[in-house]
Amino acid sequence: MVDTTKNTKLFTSYGVTTSKAINPDMAAKMIKKAKRPLLVVGSGILKPELLDRAVKIAQKANLPIAATGHSHVGFLDKDVDAKYINVHQLGFYLTDPNWPGIDGNGNYDMVIVLEFKKYYINQVLSGTKNFSNLKAISIGRDYIQNATMSFGNISREDHYVALDELIENL
Amino acid sequence: MSKLTTGSFSIEDLKDVQITINNIVGAAKEAAEAEELGPMGPSPFPGLATYRDDWNLKLLDRYEPVITPMCDQCCYCTYGPCDLSNNKRGACGIDMAGHNGREFFLRVITGTACHAAHGRHLLDHLLETFGEDVPLDLGQSDVLTPNITITTGQSPKTLGEIKPAMEHAEEQLTQLLATIHAGQESAEIDYDSKALFSGSLDHVGMEISDIVQIAALDFPKADPEAPLIEMGIGTIDKEKPFLCVIGHNVAGVTYMMDYMEENELTDKVELGGLCCTAIDLTRYKEADRRPPYTKVVGSMSKELKIIRSGMPDVIVVDEQCVRGDIVPEAQKLNIPVIASNAKIMYGLPNRDNQDVDATIEELKSGAIPGCVILDYEKLGEISVRLAQEMHPIREAAGVREIPSDEQMKEWVDKCADCGACYLACPIELDIPEAMKFAKEGDYSYLEELHDACIGCRRCEQVCKKEIPILSVIEKASQKIIAEEKGWMRAGRGQVSDAEIRSEGLNLVMGTTPGIIAIIGCPNYSDCAKGVYYIAEEFLKRNYIVVGTGCGSMDMGMYKDENGETLYERFPGGFVSGGLVNIGSCVSNAHITGAAQKVAGIFGGRTMEGNLAEIADYVLNRVGACGLAWGAFSQKASSIGTGCNIYGIPAVLGAHSSKYRRALIAKDYDESKWKVYDARNGEEMPIPPAPEFLLTTAETWQEATPMMAKACIRPSDNNLGRSIKLTHWMELHDKYIGGLPEDWWKFIRSEADIPLAKRAALMKKLEEEQGWEIDWKRKKIISGPKIKFDVSAQPTNLKRLCKEA
Ligand code: SF4
Ligand code: SF4
Ligand code: SF4
Repeated sequence: MVDTTKNTKLFTSYGVTTSKAINPDMAAKMIKKAKRPLLVVGSGILKPELLDRAVKIAQKANLPIAATGHSHVGFLDKDVDAKYINVHQLGFYLTDPNWPGIDGNGNYDMVIVLEFKKYYINQVLSGTKNFSNLKAISIGRDYIQNATMSFGNISREDHYVALDELIENL
Repeated sequence: MSKLTTGSFSIEDLKDVQITINNIVGAAKEAAEAEELGPMGPSPFPGLATYRDDWNLKLLDRYEPVITPMCDQCCYCTYGPCDLSNNKRGACGIDMAGHNGREFFLRVITGTACHAAHGRHLLDHLLETFGEDVPLDLGQSDVLTPNITITTGQSPKTLGEIKPAMEHAEEQLTQLLATIHAGQESAEIDYDSKALFSGSLDHVGMEISDIVQIAALDFPKADPEAPLIEMGIGTIDKEKPFLCVIGHNVAGVTYMMDYMEENELTDKVELGGLCCTAIDLTRYKEADRRPPYTKVVGSMSKELKIIRSGMPDVIVVDEQCVRGDIVPEAQKLNIPVIASNAKIMYGLPNRDNQDVDATIEELKSGAIPGCVILDYEKLGEISVRLAQEMHPIREAAGVREIPSDEQMKEWVDKCADCGACYLACPIELDIPEAMKFAKEGDYSYLEELHDACIGCRRCEQVCKKEIPILSVIEKASQKIIAEEKGWMRAGRGQVSDAEIRSEGLNLVMGTTPGIIAIIGCPNYSDCAKGVYYIAEEFLKRNYIVVGTGCGSMDMGMYKDENGETLYERFPGGFVSGGLVNIGSCVSNAHITGAAQKVAGIFGGRTMEGNLAEIADYVLNRVGACGLAWGAFSQKASSIGTGCNIYGIPAVLGAHSSKYRRALIAKDYDESKWKVYDARNGEEMPIPPAPEFLLTTAETWQEATPMMAKACIRPSDNNLGRSIKLTHWMELHDKYIGGLPEDWWKFIRSEADIPLAKRAALMKKLEEEQGWEIDWKRKKIISGPKIKFDVSAQPTNLKRLCKEA
């Protein structure tokens, strides 16, 4: 098993609270436990190796996808429930208990974030961290301080392995 | 007794003389107020609270501040540092939201101060040089100073008459700055209201800066045919001495140009620059469109790159977007640095009182790395002469060339593949991967990083092997850098009243689908080419694209398959499909100015002291959206906030999430999407448009449809709405894929539906939204929540309603 908890150096936001570094099996367990989880993917997903894995995660855990940036183009011909929304807007709506969600059925209790610029998702999650009870799990290759739990800073190769292990455990 | 407002007096014998000075501060304002003024709105010379209840809180009710802190702590005073996480309150009583409101506000007032102080410097300098009576000749306009007029109620006609507006901005800035102190103003919403106010003052400061230089320095005056300027590192002639200027304040540069012209050196010395001084030196004495000889090197992101190239023989800096490490960087390559503005003195010795020859000798010998010269006459002579003298010296020393191939190989081989640079790079460039290929002799991966790299050096700070990574990237990119040549139109200044009159109807009716303003700095999160793609997309769709600052430069750096830049392909007028380079960053005031003029000239609203009504008109009727794709400096936050108070939404690049706040509306909350109909005061529902005032996008592909959508306005007529929807839906399909989820919310009747797909879309409305359609008459019978009434007058201001 690849250890995704090691390198947790920060280069974006800073402060007193930092996310807990986790391994893929633990991430899978948390996702399975969530009542209303949402997979949030950024435009970095458009590399084929990553897109395939995101589709598998969504399918296996039955997750709706918030496709941010222009990532939505990648999911058009895939058998997943993906809807476009801007991630800054999404971050704001996630802090509102009255938001009907992207499907009209209400707000979410967990977001799983994947393939963003680390400074961008860190900023968006600093809003949800301070102004809501949302749990955020980052499964990208960078340590995301403002998530609740996150992989550490890992190499691209290790990241692929980690995602495969996550899929395995879902 | 008459009040002393101007002039000087001297007293020979000081004995038994009592001097009482009253009322000098504010005297200019009083003198101007005494003049006959026309119709006046409710808010001339506003203070901290003036716009709050009447306008700002209304805006902030729909466009809610979205707080995204950069840090959990506050370290402002000795009670702290306090942990504010989870919106806790600190020892002084301020909470996380309030503190972050304050943090954003601090950025905005810093930006405002930069422009206001720049305006003050230019105004004083030009008053001293040319006198009070220089007329504000800015082109064919009656409305010369929309931002000043809306703010102060006055319409200055000469340089001297600008003083009250300048004083007002300065006075209010002091008041604003004071609110930062400790936890006193703790309400986030009030910090946002104050930020909006500061934004409005910022456009006053910018307007002053630009109109005084246009008037006194003979810049193009609302000129759609302003000359084309050579641009890019590749245009610098390496055989000639190169005098490189960096910053925002053109005052000193004009003396260099005058010296070069008087001494017939214009073809013997290369004069070029970066940032806004560069744009403005191409405007100096260009009102008669003489062939330009100065060059624009490029945007702020090229500052370190051009120094590292070794090409500049002398660097002169003035103010604002100037790096703090220019002296040590330049010193490595024997480039003397002259600081010409008291805002940046770099710890260098002042040589104002020394003889010119002695100073040149001192700098030439390397006895000092640079000096301060605030005396412009001296600056003009020293900088040009020094460039000529340094050129052969530096060539002989071999420092005018980039590193050798051997040196490059040595650097690349040192890389330990540790990944520290990747983690530190703000653009998250995969430097280690590129290094790996470089070790194998393939430099193409390094070369690919050049366009996205913003030249910040964060990678070098963390590299334990001390590899000068930026230089490595630049060395690998020599070929493309040599070909970096573009064209930009010299900043043309304001949009004239005549242009507003002829385009105003199209804009309000929607047949010109919108104004897209591409402004600001080069801290792009993807590639510099993004702004080019966005501009081209909108130009081809007949939007009016206006640009300023580094955004204007980068739009001109790329060519189509015929080798033509956007400035060569599209006209420079404020017309459908026009690419209007307004000018430098301070020219941004003319962008809000254009929208304000549509409200004033076209909508017939009083401009004097009437911000809320002008802004209300723009928000409801003028389809405009700003793009600051690489927003970097604090000035970008004040410019954007100034657009916001005037009802103009702006999309920023992903880095701008670090400003800690956005203004986003809840598109799902119907209570937010209502306005009054001014005819009778009744509430009328409107579509969620625009759905934000300030937000970020992740990629240029996402930003493009977002901006098209943000040009939709409540009062669009059927034709305008269907044109705007056509563009938005096409762009959404092209870049995001498929139909946008909420397109139907904008449909009031069948006439709103894009023509080309009307039947298919009506089918969808029937099937997916349950709307009733009369297929024989091809009409929507029922369904839409919003109705269209051609004579409705949407407003957010109850006081404008007849029955109110
Ligand atoms: S200089 Fe370029 S490569 Fe280095 S950290 Fe800055 S943007 Fe990244
Ligand atoms: S920090 Fe230096 S040694 Fe480490 S990967 Fe980057 S270039 Fe190589
Ligand atoms: S656009 Fe930004 S970086 Fe460029 S000169 Fe203006 S403020 Fe500076």
